[in-house]
Amino acid sequence: MAELTSRERVQRLFRREPVDTMPCFSGMGMVTVQAIQKMGIRFPQVHTSAENMAGSAMTSAEIFGFDSVVIPYDMCTVAEALGRGTTLYEESEDILYPTVPNKWETLEEVEIPDDYLTRARMPMVDEAFKILLSEADKDGRFAVGAWVLGPFTFAGQIIELGLLLKGVKKDKERVESFLGKLTDLTIDVARHYQDLGVDYITIREMGSGTDLLSPRMWKTLIQPNLTRIFEALSIPKVNHICGSTDMIVEMMNQCGANAVSVDQKNNIAESRKKLGNDVLLFGNFDPYGTLCQMDASEVEGVIKGCIDAGVDAVWPGCDLWPDVKKENVEAFVRTVKEYGRKPSPAVGRLG
Amino acid sequence: MATKEEILKELAEGVVEYDEDQVKEAAQKALDEGIDPLEAIMDGLAAGMEEVGRLYDSNEYFVPEVLMCADALYAGLDILRPHVPKTNESKGAVVIGTVQGDVHDIGKNLVKMMFDVGGFDVYDLGRDVPLEKFVEEQLRTDSEIVAMSAMMTTTMLGMKKVIQMIKEKNPNVAIMLGGAPVTKDVATLFGADGYAESAGNAVSEAIKMIGRLRELRTQDAQKEAQ
Repeated sequence: MAELTSRERVQRLFRREPVDTMPCFSGMGMVTVQAIQKMGIRFPQVHTSAENMAGSAMTSAEIFGFDSVVIPYDMCTVAEALGRGTTLYEESEDILYPTVPNKWETLEEVEIPDDYLTRARMPMVDEAFKILLSEADKDGRFAVGAWVLGPFTFAGQIIELGLLLKGVKKDKERVESFLGKLTDLTIDVARHYQDLGVDYITIREMGSGTDLLSPRMWKTLIQPNLTRIFEALSIPKVNHICGSTDMIVEMMNQCGANAVSVDQKNNIAESRKKLGNDVLLFGNFDPYGTLCQMDASEVEGVIKGCIDAGVDAVWPGCDLWPDVKKENVEAFVRTVKEYGRKPSPAVGRLG
Repeated sequence: MATKEEILKELAEGVVEYDEDQVKEAAQKALDEGIDPLEAIMDGLAAGMEEVGRLYDSNEYFVPEVLMCADALYAGLDILRPHVPKTNESKGAVVIGTVQGDVHDIGKNLVKMMFDVGGFDVYDLGRDVPLEKFVEEQLRTDSEIVAMSAMMTTTMLGMKKVIQMIKEKNPNVAIMLGGAPVTKDVATLFGADGYAESAGNAVSEAIKMIGRLRELRTQDAQKEAQ
């Protein structure tokens, strides 16, 4: 039968319908220096113009054959729309992602304006999504993914993380109520992207692994909010957490997302045993180590290792670090597409 | 009247139980009873922090608890440190900060705590620090150690540049790296002298370093006694 388009491949995977081969995609940024160089722009420029943001995503996908494009690239767009500013490092010669320069000092100071979805770079990101979606609608040459930070991680973007972490012990009720408000905000932003027509959305509660929080705290403070977010969304959604997740992967799965994504710290084979074969599980290679540092000849082994351990899609543990080695990414994509022709635990293959 | 052992225990327990009031009271009691403030720091506060490290390693404590324990430790340190005789005071100087592009500083602050406990002069540049600033500050303060942290892959490459810049000007400076994406291989590749893996490992590493400082102090005391 005819080969699926990239978009069909991703959509079918989320529906757990048979695919021709494993899609090579991610829920996090996949912009590469090769695309930026080809466009003749600098890294800070991909964050501030819809054309550059959409263009660099599409060019990266075209150069390497990714099955998806995912924007935005930085974690400041929503915080910036709440008035926290953003540092773009436009003068830096290095690749530096934007950061939030001004955090609120206390929970009381936090104010969420009603119209934040129309502030700062939010409309520009919408415009970039529209460009990507109109291209995807033409020929299905990629799926379009969006992502939003989970409420706990987002809280760490707008107030001091130390204050938040101590607050969960010292001032639990207030922190819980604050996180409830940020859960509403996460739902609003995610629904906004859903309404734009994106194919899937990843909720990145990346700061909540057991490097920082106990499993018990995760259950009371994180799980209910993530569950509420996933209940509020109707498109395919992924629950991604980086760092230590072995102790919480089952609770992650109970939150109601279509797929669970973890990074290289997770023991995927064990997680697969815990979750069974009916759950979409994505992961879990170290993007910097595998695509920027390693010799290209070693990449195939890493990717095959992920597939053999039982993932349904080989996802990087984080955004791709843009300064990838071309031949490493080529080996990554090639291995996923060739070695991924065999069925994965939760998804069959077309005959 | 409380014995020295009892007061040291109160200090240690106050840190473990993150009870700032208990630590403050015990620290004041230590001074009132004429206990050597350095001993109160090392065998009271730091000993408590070592126990916190054990609790962290065994997944009984997580970062929120450790941060509160650190606050309790500082509550005691603020009272005791001014009374440590100047001759015993500085063990050296360290420049510390998170590199440009990185606004996460929990790991950095825990490592800083270790240096504070150890009696180092600490020059804290804060977070999101431009690379040249580390070099300038090291030269200005003539610090023996530069400690840098990056939580994110995207910022750790800056560390390599700083190491090159510092080592060119002063090859004897010891450089410590820490942060989630920095593996031992990366640290070696970049030419760093020490390494702590993550906010999590920074906890373990910083506390182990406190343990080593305590051992050294005991050895010094034994030598003096001989």
